[in-house]
Amino acid sequence: MDFRPLNDTERRQLINALRGNAESDRAILMDRRDTSFLGTTDEVTDEEVISAIKSVPCHY
Amino acid sequence: MKLQALVSSMSQLLQDFQRSLLRPRPPTAAMRGVAPVDYGPLQRILLTDGVGRTLFEEYASHREETRGDEETGWVLLGLREAHEAVVLATLPAGAERDAGIAHVRFNSEAQALASRIIRQTDRRLTILGVVHTHPGTLRHPSDGDLRGDGQWVRQLRGSEGVFGIGTADGPETSSALFAYQPRPHVQCLGELRFSWYALREGESAYRPLPVEWTLGPDLARSLHSIWTTLEAHAERLDRLYRQQTGLRFEVVVDEWGPGLLLTLPLAGSSDAVRVLVRRKEVRYYVVQGGALLEVDLRDEYVDRGVYLLLAELAARA
Repeated sequence: MDFRPLNDTERRQLINALRGNAESDRAILMDRRDTSFLGTTDEVTDEEVISAIKSVPCHY
Repeated sequence: MKLQALVSSMSQLLQDFQRSLLRPRPPTAAMRGVAPVDYGPLQRILLTDGVGRTLFEEYASHREETRGDEETGWVLLGLREAHEAVVLATLPAGAERDAGIAHVRFNSEAQALASRIIRQTDRRLTILGVVHTHPGTLRHPSDGDLRGDGQWVRQLRGSEGVFGIGTADGPETSSALFAYQPRPHVQCLGELRFSWYALREGESAYRPLPVEWTLGPDLARSLHSIWTTLEAHAERLDRLYRQQTGLRFEVVVDEWGPGLLLTLPLAGSSDAVRVLVRRKEVRYYVVQGGALLEVDLRDEYVDRGVYLLLAELAARA
């Protein structure tokens, strides 16, 4: 087994992915062959869109 | 014993997953085009010509209506890129909006259902912001808008939203033949004007947002012709959609005008239940062996009608 530190880009992407998963239910993509991290999907959940639509404030 | 084995397997799986997250791999394989977006402040908004036509045409139509002196508006859907927003669909305020000469609150039930319909084909579409009109000459969001929008933008990608203000005070010299931009964040067509702004969480004021055009559709435009139908049936259609994952919507037009067609595939065959929904009429059909059969079922509550029909089909199976 071999370990190496993530570079800055990989670290930022992993942190963003984990934060997006925890806060917004965004999927974390995983390589089906070796389960390595593939990033996140740019799909948006229905819940995120519907919640924002239903809370549009009154405009004046 | 089985439970112990399961816990053991799950622990191993978790350890493997944690290791796999940090597994070394070639940098060139990183993310493969699906890297999470780092949302920076918006630098421009890109409108398709379809969206631009909708805004100017429907604003002009609104002003001709009996409620034309009220405020109106649209929710904007599209793609949020790192530094720009691409608007691809408009969801109107609706006939059941709460509005007057100094405020507008959209009918969000119909807009939510419409967003589900549009996003059937592209799950990347997200909410980008809101356009609303001012009957007077205030070309900037009001202080009241800022209080509400400042909280609301927290829910948006990048914690930032796009806000358009429509006014009917374009320059007298403005041509009604084609739109032009007297300033980077302003579009005029005839007497109508849209001024565009962005607001990011924590900002104390809107900032002018340059707007540009590109070729493309308003993905929601066909829904505008059946908007009163969506408003009349929104709650039940939305519930049915959440309960039946195979349900699909499309707008159809026949000799009676436009309607919303629901198709619900039946398990294990190419058969399906179809429902044609209009504002005051719901018709039920079954596709069996390639033949389309109309069902003698008169139920104006579309979700109840579908479940009665499914129960009947189950009883006959």
